[in-house]
Amino acid sequence: MVALVTRDLRVRYKRSALGLLWTMLQPLLTMGVMVLVFSSIFRFDLPQYPVYCLTGILFWNFFSQSIVASMVSLRANAAILHKVPVPKAVFPVATVCSGVVNLCLALVPLVVILLVTGHPLRPAILFLPVAILVAALFTLGMGLLLSPLAVFFTDVVEMVGVALSLLMYLTPIFYPMAIVPDHLRMFVRFNPVRSILEVFRDPIYFGKIPPLTHFTVAFGLALLAFTLGALAFKRNSDRIPFYV
Amino acid sequence: MGAPHDAPAVVLDGVSLCYRLARQRIPSIKEYALHWIRGALTYQELWALRDVSVTLRRGDRLGVVGANGAGKSSLLKVISGVLKATQGRATVNGRIAPILELGIGFDYELTGLENAYLNALFLGHSRKDVDERIGDIVEFSGLGDFVHSPVRTYSSGMLARLGFAVVTAWVPDVLLLDEVLAVGDVHFVKKCEERLDGFRRAGTTLVFVSHAMESIRRNCNRCIWLDKGHVRAEGSPEDVLGLYEGEAPPA
Repeated sequence: MVALVTRDLRVRYKRSALGLLWTMLQPLLTMGVMVLVFSSIFRFDLPQYPVYCLTGILFWNFFSQSIVASMVSLRANAAILHKVPVPKAVFPVATVCSGVVNLCLALVPLVVILLVTGHPLRPAILFLPVAILVAALFTLGMGLLLSPLAVFFTDVVEMVGVALSLLMYLTPIFYPMAIVPDHLRMFVRFNPVRSILEVFRDPIYFGKIPPLTHFTVAFGLALLAFTLGALAFKRNSDRIPFYV
Repeated sequence: MGAPHDAPAVVLDGVSLCYRLARQRIPSIKEYALHWIRGALTYQELWALRDVSVTLRRGDRLGVVGANGAGKSSLLKVISGVLKATQGRATVNGRIAPILELGIGFDYELTGLENAYLNALFLGHSRKDVDERIGDIVEFSGLGDFVHSPVRTYSSGMLARLGFAVVTAWVPDVLLLDEVLAVGDVHFVKKCEERLDGFRRAGTTLVFVSHAMESIRRNCNRCIWLDKGHVRAEGSPEDVLGLYEGEAPPA
């Protein structure tokens, strides 16, 4: 397991000179673009917008990249699945674990931004590992649910790509909840990804531990996603080697 | 190892394996939906194995012969657990070393050493075990300093050598071999055969798929002939190969 994760990371960073730096730089650059766009074109006033935006971007990158990568992971490891009897779930699980490592690395530029903007770090930041675990559980569930599908049908990866970009706009990553028009607010509110994101954002941006109700909902959603994903994966895992 | 000595090493009980050839026809949800609406969701079924029952005692060495597509490789995949039998059951007692194809699942960006390590872990060895044997593996593969180069720079012979070295670094209870000895230079083939002889003395059960009748006569004490997924004949290598060669022109 650990070996698989290190392999993923190593392969990812081996051939690019900027390697590790890239993981940290990419969210910063995205944030730069968003700050430019939203503070000059669409105006809304949110204190410390860069911090708000960056937490959203970090979370979203982790979520969407892990899901796409888990869907590809089974096919990418087809050679192993054909030759060695391994529990198939190790591939999506390892993918999400690498995603968590990447997320933690990407926290470094966040700290830099926090220092630069003088955003206070409160003790609630200690809650962050729990928030990351909840996010990882939710993401893993989605990955387990979708990865066998992606093996059976090749167009699922593209369909999920489209669904993810729609989902991205329905999640308050770049914008605050307050600007969502009333008739759309319901969609954003009942978007499960929003719950998970807020649990992640609260300790960093608002410097508070998420309210118990929010946390319970998010944790429940994560547990539900994981259970569904694990069941779906288990049901289909014997069929996977026939299709990759 | 771990398994009681009197338990059979491999039991195949009425094993059938079916490939549904739908994959070529319906590769996307879009087409799946279209077919489903038209009620035309038909699958072409291909039975690679039909009701195969074999029991191997510890130390048995089974040769498997048959024409291309007779189900030989599928049989190994079912025994190894890579594919699950559609019907029937395959039970293996003890540790398996499967050599199903050359260069077991390598990652082309990683070095030979990293791949060897990863593969050994996939085969179920602990990190500590691998640390102990990694030196032997490198030495046996004869790759020398090349183990520090990415696998994408390897020749097919080098891949085969590394693969064989990893899988056979530990004495397995059951060894599955899919005509791998055909590659590699004379020197390496000799080294492999010595290692296999060692396994035989240690009581390893062998399942050996080959078109080389001579190797089967030399290495096996039992033999089956697969024909379109059915067991056509079973017995001593002499008898089965006699029948087989009588019908098929020697491959």
